[in-house]
Amino acid sequence: MKSNVKKVIAAVMALVMMLGLTACSGANYTENNTEFVIGVSGPLTGGAAVYGVAVQNSAQMAVDEINANGGLNGVMFKFIATDDTNDATKVTANYASMLEGGMQVSLGCVTTAPGLEFKQLSVEDNVFFLTPSASGDKIPEFDNGYQMCFADGNQGKVAAEYVNSLGLSEIGIFYKSDDAYSNGIFEQFKENLDPSIATVETVFTGDASDFSSQISTLKNCTFIFMPIYYQPASIFMTQAKGIIADNAVYYGCDGFDGLAGQFEDFSVIPQEISMLSHFDSNATEGMAAEYIAKYTEKFGTDTLNQFGASAYDCVYAIYYAMEEAIAEGEAIDVTISASDLCEILKAQFQGGFSYSGVTGENITWDENGYVAKIAVKYTLKEAN
Amino acid sequence: MEKLKNVKWNHYLNYIVVAAVTLVFAILSLTGVIESSDKYLLEKVAIAITLAVSLSMVVGFLGELSLGHAGFMCIGAYLGGKTAVILEPVIGEWPALIVSLLVGGIVAAVFGMIIGLPALRLRGDYLAIVTLAFGEIVRSVFMNSSKESFGGSLGLDTPRFDKDILFVIAFVMVLATLAVTQNLIRSKHGRAITAIRDNEIAARATGIDVTKYKLLVFTVSSFFAGIAGVLYSYSNFTVQSTKFSYNYSIEILVMVVLGGMGSINGAIIAATLITFLDVELQTILTGNLAVLQDLIYALILIVLVIYNNAPALKNFREKYNLKAFINKFRPHVPSKHKDDEAKWDRVPTKIKMDEVLSVDFQTTSPYTPDKPGKEEK
Amino acid sequence: MEFIETLINGLSIGSTYAMIALGYTMVYGIAKMLNFAHGDIIMVGGYMIYVGLTISGNPVISFIAAVLSCIILGITIEKIAYRPLRGASPLAVLITAIGVSYLLQSSAQMIFGSAPKMVTVADLGSISFSGLTIPVYVLVTLACSVVIMTALTLFVKYTRTGRAMIAVSEDKGAAQLMGINVNRIIMITFAIGSGLAAFAGLFMLMKSPSLSNTLGAMPGIKAFTSAVIGGVGSIPGAMLGGILMGVVEAISLKIPPIAPYTDAIEFIILIIILLVKPTGILGKKRREKV
Repeated sequence: MKSNVKKVIAAVMALVMMLGLTACSGANYTENNTEFVIGVSGPLTGGAAVYGVAVQNSAQMAVDEINANGGLNGVMFKFIATDDTNDATKVTANYASMLEGGMQVSLGCVTTAPGLEFKQLSVEDNVFFLTPSASGDKIPEFDNGYQMCFADGNQGKVAAEYVNSLGLSEIGIFYKSDDAYSNGIFEQFKENLDPSIATVETVFTGDASDFSSQISTLKNCTFIFMPIYYQPASIFMTQAKGIIADNAVYYGCDGFDGLAGQFEDFSVIPQEISMLSHFDSNATEGMAAEYIAKYTEKFGTDTLNQFGASAYDCVYAIYYAMEEAIAEGEAIDVTISASDLCEILKAQFQGGFSYSGVTGENITWDENGYVAKIAVKYTLKEAN
Repeated sequence: MEKLKNVKWNHYLNYIVVAAVTLVFAILSLTGVIESSDKYLLEKVAIAITLAVSLSMVVGFLGELSLGHAGFMCIGAYLGGKTAVILEPVIGEWPALIVSLLVGGIVAAVFGMIIGLPALRLRGDYLAIVTLAFGEIVRSVFMNSSKESFGGSLGLDTPRFDKDILFVIAFVMVLATLAVTQNLIRSKHGRAITAIRDNEIAARATGIDVTKYKLLVFTVSSFFAGIAGVLYSYSNFTVQSTKFSYNYSIEILVMVVLGGMGSINGAIIAATLITFLDVELQTILTGNLAVLQDLIYALILIVLVIYNNAPALKNFREKYNLKAFINKFRPHVPSKHKDDEAKWDRVPTKIKMDEVLSVDFQTTSPYTPDKPGKEEK
Repeated sequence: MEFIETLINGLSIGSTYAMIALGYTMVYGIAKMLNFAHGDIIMVGGYMIYVGLTISGNPVISFIAAVLSCIILGITIEKIAYRPLRGASPLAVLITAIGVSYLLQSSAQMIFGSAPKMVTVADLGSISFSGLTIPVYVLVTLACSVVIMTALTLFVKYTRTGRAMIAVSEDKGAAQLMGINVNRIIMITFAIGSGLAAFAGLFMLMKSPSLSNTLGAMPGIKAFTSAVIGGVGSIPGAMLGGILMGVVEAISLKIPPIAPYTDAIEFIILIIILLVKPTGILGKKRREKV
């Protein structure tokens, strides 16, 4: 019995020590900061890794640039990217470890599903986040959350308005039924679509890579709306060659960006491809072209997409907002708590702060945290 | 006092450890020493232990391979979460918690019973694939549910319980799981269950009601998986069906196998360590290092499993293991009585899959099957 | 007409499953282990084709290189991760297989990055007659599956090694007493299975040219399901199961209200078939020794 008592004590001690390693300090995690800390949680591994990696690379690039230019009044920035593999369950640990590691402001989550968890966690501690790409309508639900990308519902609405103006009698829709992004756009699109336009709808789920069934459903459509990401879109287009009419139009949302990088030679796809987006990775002028040149030089074209461009803008928007706040007389020092900084940034983002960057000019935010900027219809490729 | 001496302390050891750990952390939490990240970790550990112990009943004791444990958890998470959403404004936080735990557990148990039915007819891998299929079906149903019912692809928004209390509740549930599982296993019913595992036909011949016991184990096991699901829904703001894929079932299975099948304490330790390792890897390896997470996890997994199970390493294992290491520091005390009953949860598993593999003679070749009772030499 | 079209789509989907299932069932039927890493060997095969195409530009050379490297990989995995566990609980092997699967996936991401690669192996076009269009790769995949199926069946039935494989799958100990080198036979099984994985990789790339490190995960599970539907260890069964899965998938995708549930419907069919015939369609019933 005595030895059992010892066993119990040993086991308890072992567990306490295991966890106890991180036990320390009190509530103020930022008091020892020597740099401003920006954190993000995104899929750095797994099926959606390309989006998380793009965000990580671009945000790091922006932070490096800011630091090279002397930071914010001499204070440098530090960027942490944690991996959530697009799994909401992992966000809690990421968030807590970043917060306890001194995070003062965040880019939220890269994708919507984990973002829904993040927004709830961050509102409790009043941490400001400006997400580059978690486009769910409910992401900026609380007053500490802002989006740099268009919200899904908005994209669906704008896309529907565009389609309504085309005067078509029938369109095809191809979307991913188990994806929050695709579903979100689809629902609003359908709601705002002129009821006189007939629709042929078909879906896929998961990592499907054979769309022959969906293609044969859509084979008579000359206009196909595809609110999906570029990887399945590229598969669909390759498989649809010769089945869907050559004069058909593929129309997508910002998820299409990156498509051009998938094809060595875009002309293998006969159809017209266009998208509604805030960024085009083939841009040849303006800040977008500058960003593309810088990104490509550092990381190649593999992970070049609108997620990264948006993240680059997020970091700069936060930086300029902080700079403006200081100019207006707010005190921001390096050990400012996340909550205090959140109040300052909220006041900025609600108080007429506007930002021009890679993904748009004179970007502002409305009282709900949704972004207000111009969505452009890019024609990625004309019909052959 | 005499009575106290006769108590088999070994039987209660894990309750005491778990209770003590809970108590220590509850005190630490009250005094504000531990961070919220620790509390989240504790919740995860408790949920993992509940899952591992409940799966261990099916895999370790009944000897059926189940790859659908996450499916039962999914049912618990969604139904418990939904109950909590509906009831919390009406009857308050605590009653809602109790009701949703019961609802999640019971509905999962009902489905466990339904899935137990094919288990009567199917063997080994066939049953494994049916359970896997079940898990994927459940996931697909919740994934495609309407926004109003279970949130569809956006997931179900659930209330999060106060993080200072939730891990204590979760550990209380661990204690409940342990109490039910261990009492069942150590009863005559438990012996019937292990008899089915070791030889179903012989068990049937001796008059054991195989149907009843198989259904019983599946029901109890999925009840606690459902409970774990409800706890999960309380520890997260959203319940998303993508989480409950077959990969998650496998993760739970890894805990059971790594812990040594048919060992509840092993499952507890493995669940704790794996969860801890997972979270640490995830939070330490950030940025460009994130890609190493799976790599390190996979290497640790392979090395541990080979070390634990390879027949060629048996001698090595006996020489260098944790027990031998601890025993070095302990004076040798000859035990007064041999505790036969305690051995019941130590019998090495002979799972049905292996029936196909096993040979019926003893040889010195490396192909000796793991026969029960070999370690008792 | 509509129905024939759906059937063709089903064949298109099913031919891939059948191809993967053939490799799966070899390892599964003979080594009696659920090789969860099989899907990832397909992925490695895909990447090898990609590397070969980038270096040489010749599809044939890169394909041969892919087959060879997959075989070497398969043998290595078997030797390092599975062989030490021979004689241990089959569940332990299952866990190392999962470990190997994670290992391959994360190594692929480390080496090739997270972005999907576009690989154009060969554009075979499509043929149409009387309003129906069939992509040529579907026909090629089907033809190859049939050839491989026949070859494997003949190999297993009529060669010494093949018969030794059956013996090993029946009873390892007894096979060894009969003078069969069990380790060697299982190694050959893995070599064949992994070589077939490279074939599957090729046909998957021909169909959908987007290559990422999760390429083989879900098709692997679907193919495993196919193998079980067809009857574990039965080579024609694997083929049949694969085609059946494909047709079910195509039909289900055609019906709008149930289309999102396609995966679930495939699994429901699996459960129904197993309940009616617990050993799969072509599986043999195994007598139990007491």
